[in-house]
Amino acid sequence: MDLEFTEEQQMIKDMARSILDEHSSVDAVRELEDDPRGFSDALWKQLGESGLLGLTLPAEYGGGGQSLLEAALVYEEMGRTLASVPHFVSAVIGGGILAEAGSDAQKAEWLPKIASGESIFTIAWLEPERGYGPVGVQLEARSDGDAFVLSGTKQHVYFGGAADQLLVLARTDAGVDVFLVDAKADGVSMRQILSQAGDAQYRVTFESVKVGAGDRVGAAGTGWDSLSKVMHDGIVLLASQAIGGAQQALDITGEYMKVRTQFDKPLAAFQSLAHYMADASTNIEGGRMIVLEAAWTRAQGRSIERLAPMAKLFCCDTYTEVTRTCEQLWGGVGFTLEYDVQLYFRRAKQLELSWWDTPYLEELVAADVLD
Amino acid sequence: MDFDFSPEEQAFADEVEQWLVDNHDPVVMDPTRENFTQLADTPERRAFMKKLAAQGWLGMSWPKEYGGQEIEGVYEYILNEALAKHAAPQIGKGVGIIGKTLIRHGSDYLKKEFLPKILNADIEFAVGYSEPQAGSDAANMQLKAEKKGDGWVLNGQKIWTTSAHFADWYWVGARTDPDAPKHSGISLFLVPMNDPGLEIVSLPTIGKDTTNQVFFNDVYVPDTQMVGEQGKGFQYISEALDLERFTMFTLSPSTERARVLIEWAKEAKRDGKPIKDDPNVRRLIARIVTDQAVAKGLSVRFVCAARKGGKPPTIESSQYKLFATQLSQRVCQDALDIQGAAGQIREGQDEGPIRGRFEGAYRATVVETIGGGSSEVQKNIIARRYLGFPKNF
Ligand SMILES: Cc1cc2nc3c(=O)[nH]c(=O)nc-3n(C[C@H](O)[C@H](O)[C@H](O)COP(=O)(O)OP(=O)(O)OC[C@H]3O[C@@H](n4cnc5c(N)ncnc54)[C@H](O)[C@@H]3O)c2cc1C
Repeated sequence: MDLEFTEEQQMIKDMARSILDEHSSVDAVRELEDDPRGFSDALWKQLGESGLLGLTLPAEYGGGGQSLLEAALVYEEMGRTLASVPHFVSAVIGGGILAEAGSDAQKAEWLPKIASGESIFTIAWLEPERGYGPVGVQLEARSDGDAFVLSGTKQHVYFGGAADQLLVLARTDAGVDVFLVDAKADGVSMRQILSQAGDAQYRVTFESVKVGAGDRVGAAGTGWDSLSKVMHDGIVLLASQAIGGAQQALDITGEYMKVRTQFDKPLAAFQSLAHYMADASTNIEGGRMIVLEAAWTRAQGRSIERLAPMAKLFCCDTYTEVTRTCEQLWGGVGFTLEYDVQLYFRRAKQLELSWWDTPYLEELVAADVLD
Repeated sequence: MDFDFSPEEQAFADEVEQWLVDNHDPVVMDPTRENFTQLADTPERRAFMKKLAAQGWLGMSWPKEYGGQEIEGVYEYILNEALAKHAAPQIGKGVGIIGKTLIRHGSDYLKKEFLPKILNADIEFAVGYSEPQAGSDAANMQLKAEKKGDGWVLNGQKIWTTSAHFADWYWVGARTDPDAPKHSGISLFLVPMNDPGLEIVSLPTIGKDTTNQVFFNDVYVPDTQMVGEQGKGFQYISEALDLERFTMFTLSPSTERARVLIEWAKEAKRDGKPIKDDPNVRRLIARIVTDQAVAKGLSVRFVCAARKGGKPPTIESSQYKLFATQLSQRVCQDALDIQGAAGQIREGQDEGPIRGRFEGAYRATVVETIGGGSSEVQKNIIARRYLGFPKNF
């Protein structure tokens, strides 16, 4: 048992930290809120050039071939800096599904472009008034000879406005399938929906959008399995992102508590407040441990069927709880837009509600334990 | 990064596990005694400790010159967690706190007298720090030690001395210098528990066993039985907590309780329907196993920090203890909520679910967030050392 990082892991973490510090300052993050594109080209370019974008994609397709552990270190930094960038939807989910289930031709065509940042992928998964499970995928893909015709509406399509390729989850006779759809294809229309976190997410409508049989990713009816597999990796990274955000919120709050005085004492000298912070720090450290264990376990080639949902469940819960506490500790200024703590507070809840929410994750864990 | 034990450590863990299975004895290993399983308080349990000694498993981390093997403390962690898992007596007190303090600070006489007996499991100790006015503020102990000839006369009272009614020796802190500052007027003594001046009064608890009050009436202790230097007692007590990182609060009892609860929940029915299909039950169980995994992570963190040596892993162990003890209580609370009305049936009756295991555990685990540094004390430590907050509470 040891918790030391290798030199290479530390290097990757440091590199992520310095790139994100430079390109994802709090001012930059504020600037991007509600922006239709939602990210800066400079950061995107840096992520591509540094190899952080394709970090976990296969080396033979231009990726870094690193494990989930290295990626988790990067995601903690992204969480810390509130980085707004389509890394997750494009490289982790998009690239992940292609690497997992794509044909050789699809992989050869797209993975190098995803890794470099030349192409931006996103996933069109959730539908209005439908849930996170496979039954929530009802967008129709009617087979029409060799082709499919997609009709329906998707929601929470992150960075839809900037994406050039959409991976669309759709229902076919075989079950759930994933289709690769050009974002500019005829019949695709989208509009931005504002979110609590001020990110760039879209509602996308598909009106008889035609795709070829060669645009299906993976064998018929395997779409959900591909997504689920990639999601199990992905949620470990989001858990790490949550810990990064929670830690930063805790840090800035702790510093504030040392300088803000009331009743002739710094807030840090009030025990009730200090104890909230002690609890918060404990949960953050615990969350970091379960992230590392999940990422390490996956890197060993073992199953993270249970660890991954536990990690996101606990860490997102921690992030929302910690940031709620922090809001309280800042007092009135925490409620203003001017102070930064609200940035973490809003993103925490959004992250918890996104990419498998609490009830869904609890059920994944419960099913694994009880059924 | 590595969350596994090394092959050697894993081999030891497997060996211990197998040995405990082979040596299973329901009289010695009764999980329903909850926290009190750690004590060697019956003839059978003392015999069990002798078997552990014969295995060479006591004092493994001690220096060779005192009969140890000088192996890493993590082996004692592995052993202690396995013992706790099987509800067998544990090694923390004699081998850990007392043995290690004697090795560092004891006179040759005390070392010769006590260390071999600890290694052979010949003696059991009671630890007497707490007093009515010295709980969380342990340095406030007032038990009076007055110099007389070549020794000391002790008068006053201890409380919460858990093992006093069966132990052979009393490891006790007393105030030898009433005029010195609070932390530096205390010395440590070893007192035979059968001293006629000691009066032991049982103090029943809402757990299933008792602890004790101990009254000192002119108890004479020779100088030779003072541990280390006069006035350094509190320093030794604090240092022992740092030295003895590997056998502190164990996680496996609550992991076991969670396992027992889940096994039960898989089979139990209410109104003819499986309890496990109740969404609320599923939710609670998911949370328990998740938090249990987090607690395990926090324990890995403190073990890794401890084995690095150097600075004692105070923050790591405080965060672990805070989280794990609160979780341990919550598992019992959730279990009773899941069991509903039947959960109230007093432990030990067939009518209760799992014979009332969680009714009993719910009571027994209350002490976990109080003893060994309460949750609030842990939070004070975290606030100071982790968050860098001022020391004024
Ligand atoms: C079953 C049992 C077995 C025990 N066994 C032993 C034993 O073998 N040997 C031994 O020496 N002791 C033993 N103890 C004593 C144990 O260590 C003390 O109970 C513990 O240190 C707390 O002290 P207290 O009970 O006096 O509570 P108090 O210190 O009076 O605490 C009461 C409450 O106040 C809180 N509090 C106290 N100080 C602060 C602070 N600075 N900031 C915020 N909150 C604070 C506490 O957290 C607690 O919630 C045992 C106790 C029990 C119940």
